[in-house]
Amino acid sequence: MTMLPTALPGAKRLGLVIDLDTCVGCHACAVSCKEWNSGGEAGPLPDYDPRGSEPDGVWFNRVHSYEAAEQGCSRTVNLPRSCMHCEDALCVTVCPTGASYKRAEDGIVLIDPEICIGCKLCSWACPYGAREFDEQAGVMRKCTLCVDRIYDKSLPEAEREPACVAACPTRARHFGDLGDPESRVSKLVAARGGKDLLPELGYRPTNKYLPARTARIPTASKPAAQEGDGVGAALLRLLDRVLSR
Amino acid sequence: MRPAASVLLLTTLTGFAYGLLAWTGVYALLGLLPAAPRFATAGTTLGLLIASFGLGASALHLGRADRAWRAFSQWRSSWLSREAVGAVLTYPIAILFLLALRWDHGGIAMRLLGAAVAVMALGTVYCTAMIYASLKPIRQWHNPHTAPDYLIYAAFSGALLFALLHAVLVGGSAPIFVIVPMTAAIALLAKRAYWRHVDAQTPFASLASAIGLAKEVDVRALDAPHFAENYVLREMGFTIARRHSGRLRRIALGLAFAAPLVLSILAGLSMAPLAATAAAVACAALGLLTERWLFFAEATHVSALYYGRVV
Amino acid sequence: MKTVARTTCYMCACRCGIKVHLENGKLRHIEGNRDHPVNRGVLCAKGSAGIMTAISPARLSTPLVRVGPRGSGGFRAISWDEAMEIVTRRLAAIRASDPNRLSFFTGRDQSQALTSHFARKFGTMNYAAHGGFCSVNMAAAGLYSVGGAFWEFGEPDWEHTRLFLLFGVAEDHDSNPIKLGLGRLKERGAKIISINPVRTGYSAIADEFLAVRPGTDGLLIFALIHCLLEAGEVDTEFLVRYTNAPHLVIDAPGKADHGLIARDAHGRELSFDRKSHSLMPAMSGGIDPALMGEFTLGDGRRARPAFELLARRYGSKEYSPEAVAPRCGIDAATMRRIAREIAEVAFKQPVVIEQAWTDTGGRRHATMVGRPVSMHAMRGISAHSNGFHTCRALHVLQMLLGAIDTPGSWRYKSPYPKPIPGGSPPGRSTAPGEPLDGPPLGFPLGPEDLLVDDEGEALRLDRAFSWEAPLAIHGLMHMAIARAFEGGPARIDTLFLFMANMAWNSAMNPGETTRMLSDSDDHGNYRIPFVIVADAFASETVAYADLVLPDTTYLERYDCISLLDRPIGSAHGPADAIRVPVLQPGRDVRPFQDVLLDLAGRLGLPDFVDLGGNALYSSYADYIVRHERAPGVGPLAGFRGEDAGAIGKGSPNARQLERYVENGGFWKHELPPEQLYFKHANSAYLTGAKAMGLIESDAQIVLQIYCETLQRFRLAAEGHGDHRPPQRLCARIGQFFDPLPIWYMPLEEALTDRARFPLHAITQRPMAMYHSWGSQNAWLRQILPENRIYLHRDLAAQIGVADEDWVWVHSRNGKLKCQVRTMTGLNRDTIWTWNAIGKRAGAWALGHNAPEFRRAFLLNHIISEYLPKERREPRHSNSDPVTGQAAWFDLTVAIERCEPGAAAEVAPRLGANPVRLTLTVETGR
Ligand SMILES: Nc1nc2c(c(=O)[nH]1)N[C@H]1C(S)=C(S)[C@@H](COP(=O)(O)OP(=O)(O)OC[C@H]3O[C@@H](n4cnc5c(=O)[nH]c(N)nc54)[C@H](O)[C@@H]3O)O[C@H]1N2
Ligand SMILES: Nc1nc2c(c(=O)[nH]1)N[C@H]1C(S)=C(S)[C@@H](COP(=O)(O)OP(=O)(O)OC[C@H]3O[C@@H](n4cnc5c(=O)[nH]c(N)nc54)[C@H](O)[C@@H]3O)O[C@H]1N2
Ligand code: SF4
Ligand code: SF4
Ligand code: SF4
Ligand code: SF4
Ligand code: SF4
Ligand SMILES: [Mo]
Repeated sequence: MTMLPTALPGAKRLGLVIDLDTCVGCHACAVSCKEWNSGGEAGPLPDYDPRGSEPDGVWFNRVHSYEAAEQGCSRTVNLPRSCMHCEDALCVTVCPTGASYKRAEDGIVLIDPEICIGCKLCSWACPYGAREFDEQAGVMRKCTLCVDRIYDKSLPEAEREPACVAACPTRARHFGDLGDPESRVSKLVAARGGKDLLPELGYRPTNKYLPARTARIPTASKPAAQEGDGVGAALLRLLDRVLSR
Repeated sequence: MRPAASVLLLTTLTGFAYGLLAWTGVYALLGLLPAAPRFATAGTTLGLLIASFGLGASALHLGRADRAWRAFSQWRSSWLSREAVGAVLTYPIAILFLLALRWDHGGIAMRLLGAAVAVMALGTVYCTAMIYASLKPIRQWHNPHTAPDYLIYAAFSGALLFALLHAVLVGGSAPIFVIVPMTAAIALLAKRAYWRHVDAQTPFASLASAIGLAKEVDVRALDAPHFAENYVLREMGFTIARRHSGRLRRIALGLAFAAPLVLSILAGLSMAPLAATAAAVACAALGLLTERWLFFAEATHVSALYYGRVV
Repeated sequence: MKTVARTTCYMCACRCGIKVHLENGKLRHIEGNRDHPVNRGVLCAKGSAGIMTAISPARLSTPLVRVGPRGSGGFRAISWDEAMEIVTRRLAAIRASDPNRLSFFTGRDQSQALTSHFARKFGTMNYAAHGGFCSVNMAAAGLYSVGGAFWEFGEPDWEHTRLFLLFGVAEDHDSNPIKLGLGRLKERGAKIISINPVRTGYSAIADEFLAVRPGTDGLLIFALIHCLLEAGEVDTEFLVRYTNAPHLVIDAPGKADHGLIARDAHGRELSFDRKSHSLMPAMSGGIDPALMGEFTLGDGRRARPAFELLARRYGSKEYSPEAVAPRCGIDAATMRRIAREIAEVAFKQPVVIEQAWTDTGGRRHATMVGRPVSMHAMRGISAHSNGFHTCRALHVLQMLLGAIDTPGSWRYKSPYPKPIPGGSPPGRSTAPGEPLDGPPLGFPLGPEDLLVDDEGEALRLDRAFSWEAPLAIHGLMHMAIARAFEGGPARIDTLFLFMANMAWNSAMNPGETTRMLSDSDDHGNYRIPFVIVADAFASETVAYADLVLPDTTYLERYDCISLLDRPIGSAHGPADAIRVPVLQPGRDVRPFQDVLLDLAGRLGLPDFVDLGGNALYSSYADYIVRHERAPGVGPLAGFRGEDAGAIGKGSPNARQLERYVENGGFWKHELPPEQLYFKHANSAYLTGAKAMGLIESDAQIVLQIYCETLQRFRLAAEGHGDHRPPQRLCARIGQFFDPLPIWYMPLEEALTDRARFPLHAITQRPMAMYHSWGSQNAWLRQILPENRIYLHRDLAAQIGVADEDWVWVHSRNGKLKCQVRTMTGLNRDTIWTWNAIGKRAGAWALGHNAPEFRRAFLLNHIISEYLPKERREPRHSNSDPVTGQAAWFDLTVAIERCEPGAAAEVAPRLGANPVRLTLTVETGR
C-alpha cells in the first residue's frame, strides 16, 4: 500500500543522526552496510565487474567528501549518504505496485523485492539518490535501517542497532527514535542544531545531520611575559623558582 | 535523466494513439464522422494498435516485466498505476465504441461512447504527463508546463494521424485542415514557452543545502564515494552539452511542429494533400521522438548535486 | 548451523578484535568485538571487507618453484615435502659456511618475536622487519628520549586532554583507537589542532588546521618552545624530578668528555643543589637542583645544566616564530597564539585526579596533577630524513610542559615505559653454525655497539648499525635488495622475504628494484642468487621468487600478538591476543609460522630442538603455549601457570589457548588506579611491571631532554675513543648527532635544485585500503581502484589543468604520468596522492584492463632509495642519517601539463607478469 501511513499517535520514527563534526570519511559505515546486507535478509547485494575495469555494485550507503569555503583554509566535509526514511516519501507514493512502503509503526521506508517490478520510478522520486537498482534481480534496493538487526530478539539489547552505527569508528552515527523528543537522538539533534538535507524539497527526512563546530581556547589577550623580549628575561624568572626534588 | 528508448517510444506513440482516439471520439460525439463507419473503425483500431505497441515497449523498461500486472494496484497514489489502469480501461470502452459504430452508427450510444473514448484517451495521456510532472527532484519536469504540454502534443500528433487517415479513406476535410495547423502552432508555442521556462528556472537546491550547509556557502565536491559510475549517475546524472541541446532543440521544433504546420497548410490548399499529410506525420514522429529525447536528456535530478553536477 | 568465533583482524596491523559469524561453515559476516580493548566493537572498512579477502581469487594455493626467467611469473607447483627439502638444503649449507649469507626480511610480520628469534639462532645479522621503511624515526626518537614512542608505544589521554596536537597523521597503525579517541575528544569539546600539509580525514574534523610545509615541523616546534621559554611557561618541577634537565653537562670543547654528563664515583649523574650549594647526585631526594648557571666540578672542569643548553639554543632569535614562519608556511602570530593556548591549558587548567601515589624518590603525592595537552605524531614526521630530530623535538616540548604520562597528556601504552634506550645492543655473528650473541635488532649506546669492521664499514647487508645509520634499530629493509644487488658488504646467497611486497610498493624505486631482482652477472648467474617469498597472495613480489611458500590467510591460522613484539596493551595495562583458525583453507597452504618452526627443527637450531636434535614444537600453537623466552616468560602473558592464574610471568599452561578463546581471543590486565600515570617514576607501577616481567629493573626511568648517546657518537667523529667513523662520514656524524634536537633541510631537498623541482610530493594512507593488499578486495577496490595527484587550485590554474587532466610529474629520478584532482585544503607548495593504489598488470588476480594499472600509479616510481650522487662512493641511502628511516616524503618535484591527445594511461607501466603455472605436476598431499 503506497499511501503514506497517517502516523499513529506515539508511533516511533526510527532514523539515523550523523555527526558531521566527527565524521572522518573512513567508509566503515558503507562497507559494514554492504557486508551486513549482502548476507542478510536484504542480500545479496550485487557487484558488477568485481575484478574488471569499472568495478561497481549496489551500496545502501556511500561516503562523499567536499570542500566548503571558509576564511583561511577551506573545511573538508565528509558526508555519508543513505536513505533518510522521509516523512513525505515521494518514493513511496509514486510506486505503482505497493512494493515501496513506509511502515506506520516506526516510519521505516522499505521495498518488498517480491512485489517490485523494477520500474525505477521511485529512484527518480528520491532527491537523495538513496535507491539503487539491482540489475541482477531486476528490482530496486535501498537502506533497510537494518530492520533485520534492530528487532532481532536473538541479539543482545546493545547490538540491536544498524550495522553502520555499530561499526562507525568515531561513533559519529547515532540510531534512535526521532519521534520521541525525550530520546537520546532527539536531544542530541536539539542540542547540536541537527539539520535536514535538502529541506527545500520538503520530504521531511527523518535522518538528521549535526553540523561541524569549532572548539576554541580563550587565552589572556596579553601573554604572560612580554613577547619578543628574547629568552634572557625568562631565564632570570626561572632562576629564582624553587625546584625541589 | 537517461533517455531510455522504451520510455521515449511509450510516450511518443501513446501520444499519437490516444490523440487519434480522442479526435475520433470527439468527431463521433459531435456527429462529424463521415457517413461510412469504415473511417472511425479504422481510426479506433489503429489507435488501439499503436497504443498497445507503445505500452509494450514500456514493459521492456521493467526489471520484472513478468510482474507488470501488479502495477494496477496503486491507482490511489501512483500516477504510473493510474496510467496503467487508464490505458487498460480504454480498450473495453473503445471496443464498445467499435460495436456501436457498427450497430448504432450515428446513434446516441455511439456519440456517448465516442465521448467516453475521448475522455479515457486524454485521461491516460494526462496520467502519463503527471508521472513526470509530479517528480519534485526534477525541475524540468516538476512545473506547470509538463501536463498541458503532453495533452497538446497528443492532440497535435493525434490530429495529424486523424488527418492522414481521413485523407486516405475519405479525402480532404475542411475542419481538419484547420485543426492540424492550429494544434501544430499551439504545440510549437508551448514547447518554446517550456524551454524559456526551464532555461530561466532557478535550481530547486544547491550543493550547500544538499549537505546541510547554509545555501550561500561555496562548496565543491572533492571525492566521490566510488570511482566507477553507479546506478544513480547512469540513470540520473545524464548530461548533454549545451551546443548539442541547442541544435537538437532546433531540429525538434522544425521536424515536430514547423514542418507539419507548413505541410498541413499545403494539404489544406489541396496541394498533394495525401503526400503532404503523410510527410507531416513522418516529420512529426521523428520530431517528437527528438523532442522527447531532449525532455529526458535535458532534465537534471537533484541527487546529482551530491556528485558535484550542475542541476 | 550458526557459530561465532572471536579472533583478531588482520586486514591491517591494528589488531582489532572481531566476531566472525559462520552459517554452515561459510562466512556470514564479521563484526567488531565489543569486549575487545583495541576497537571496543567498532570495525573499519577494511575489517568489514574481510569476508571478500577470504574468498579472493588472488590467494596462493600451493608451493611453487620458478620455471623460466626470474620475474616472468612462470611457476611449477610442487609438494610441501619438496619445498621444505629445497629450503632446508639451501639454508643448512649457508649456516655451515656463513650464516650472514641468509638475508631474512619480514615485512608486516606480527610474529617478530618468533622470526627474529629464528634469525638469531640461525646466526644471521641480516634480519629486519618493516620498521626501517615505516616509522623507526618515531620509535628511536621515543625510546631514546622517553622510553616509549608515538609509534605503537603511546597514546593521548583521550578522557582528560583538552588540547590535542596531531602532527602528520592520516591513519596510523592505531586506526580504530585513534578514531574512537577523536570521537571522544569531539564529544568532550576538546580542541584538536592538525598540523599537516593536507586537509583530509582526521584533519578534516580538526578545529584548527595548519597547512605546514613538508619537512619543516621541527622549526614550528622550536618556535613553540621559544615562545614557552620566553613566557617562562615550563614545568620546572617536572623537569627536575623526571628528566635529565638539571644534569650537569661537561663543558670542555675538544676534550673526550665534552658534552657528556658529569657523574660521581658511583656513576651517578650530578646536578647542582641550590640548597646546599654543592654538587649532588641529580636523583637524590630533597635537593633543589639548578636548571641554570655554570658550575665547577670537583676536578675543576666546567659544567652547565642540560636545561641551560636547551634554553640558550631555542631561546635564541633564530627560532623565534618570526624567524621560522617563512619556511613553515604558518604565520608567526598563529604560532604565538598556539603557544599561548598550550600554556593556558597546561598551566591554568591542570587536570587533578584525586588519587594518591608514590614516586621513585619516595615522595607520597596526594593527587595526580596533569597537563591536559597531548600530542600524537607519525609518518608526516618520521618519513623525512630529519624525522628523528623532529620527533625528539616533540618529546622535548612534551617534557618542558610536564606532559608525559600525566592526566590529560600523552601516556605510555603498557608494557612501556622501558629503560632508556630500551634493550641490549644488536647481536653480531660469532662463528659459522653458531647463533648471534644478541638479538639481530638492538639498541646501541655508543660507537662500541656498532656492527662495523675494523675500517668502520658496515657488517650488515643493509648497513644498519653502521656509521651510515648508527641507531637503525629496525634495520633498513628498503635497502636490502639494492645492497644485495651491489654485493656489499659480502655477497648474500638467499633473500628470504615474508609478508612484504618489496618488488612494488615498499620499494623506493620499483622499476630499478625489479630490474635488480632479475639481473644476472657476466656468467649468467642472478646477482641475487636465490629468492624465497612467503606470501598468501599473488602479489607483485611473488613473481620474482625462485621458491614460493604459500601462507594461509588470517582467518585460517593461529597467531599471537605478543608482549615480546608489538602487543595490544594500552595506558590502562598490558594486553595480548591470539588468532584462531576459523576457516579451513581447502588449499595446499601452510601457516608460515608452522613452516618456520618446521624449518628450524630440520636445521636443528638451538631453542627449537631438544638435545637429541628433535624438533621441540609440533606447530605454532604448540610453540605459543610452551616456548619460554626467559623462565616463566612466553609469547602470551595471560593465563600462565598450571592454575592459569599467573599474570605475565608463570610456568606454561597447557590449556592457555583454550582460556584465551573463552576470554574472546585476548587477555588484558587493568592496572590499579594508583599505577595509571607517571609510570616512568611511579614506584607502585614499576615494581608491579617488574613482577610481571614487563621490565627488568624497577628503577626510575629518567626522561632524556639531553641525549648523551648521540654525543658519544659525535665525540667519536671528533676523533675521540678507539671506535671512530671512516673519514668520509665524520662530518656527517658531527652534524647529525647533536644531543639536543636540531632542524636541517631534508637531505634530498638540500641536494636537489629547488628551482627545477619547487614542489613537495607526498602520499597518504587511504582509510579504506591497506597498502597493496587491499586492491584484491572486491568491495574496497570499488571505493579506490584509482588514484589522482592532488594539486592546489591555484597551482592547477597556473599550469592550466583541471580535474581529470593528465600531467607529467618530474623528479630527479624520472617522470610519472597521471591524472589531476584539484583542491584547496592543501599546502601551496605540496602535491600528494593516496599510497599504494597503483598495481602491476597481472598481479592480485585483477582483470586484464583493471584501472589499478591503467589509471592508478605509485609515486614510488619517481623516488629513489639513494640520495643524489655526491662525489664520494658509496652512495648514501635516502634515509634519516641517525636511524636509517626511509625518507619517502623528502621528494621534490615539478609538474607540467600533458601534451593534449596523449594516451589516457599512466606511465611508467611495467609489463604484466602474472603468477601462473606454466607446468603442473601432481602436488603431493
Ligand atoms: N610512496 C610511499 N611508499 C610507501 C609508503 C609511503 O608512505 N609512501 N609507506 C611505506 C610503509 S610505512 C610501509 S609499512 C610499506 C608497506 O609495504 P609492504 O610492507 O610491502 O606491505 P604490503 O603492501 O601490505 O604488502 C605486504 C605483503 O604481505 C602479503 N600478505 C598479506 N597477508 C598475508 C599473510 O597473511 N601472510 C603472508 N605470508 N603474506 C601476507 C601481501 O600479499 C603483500 O605481498 O610501504 C612503504 N611504501
Ligand atoms: N587504512 C590504512 N591504514 C593503515 C595503513 C594503510 O595502508 N591503510 N598503513 C599502516 C602503516 S604501515 C603505517 S606506517 C601507518 C602510517 O600512518 P600515518 O602516519 O597516518 O601515515 P601516512 O598515511 O603516510 O600519513 C602521513 C601524513 O603526514 C602528512 N605529512 C606528510 N609530510 C608531512 C610533514 O612534513 N609534516 C606534517 N606535519 N605532516 C606531513 C601527510 O599529509 C599524511 O597526512 O598507517 C597504518 N595504517
Ligand atoms: S563510519 Fe563514521 S566516520 Fe566513517 S565515514 Fe561513516 S560516519 Fe564517517
Ligand atoms: S531518502 Fe529517498 S528513498 Fe529514502 S525515504 Fe526519502 S525519498 Fe524515499
Ligand atoms: S521500482 Fe519497484 S519499488 Fe520502485 S517504484 Fe517501481 S515497483 Fe515500486
Ligand atoms: S542502517 Fe543498515 S542498511 Fe541503512 S545504511 Fe546503515 S547499515 Fe546500511
Ligand atoms: S583497523 Fe580495521 S583492518 Fe585494521 S585491524 Fe582493525 S578492523 Fe581490522
Ligand atoms: Mo608502515
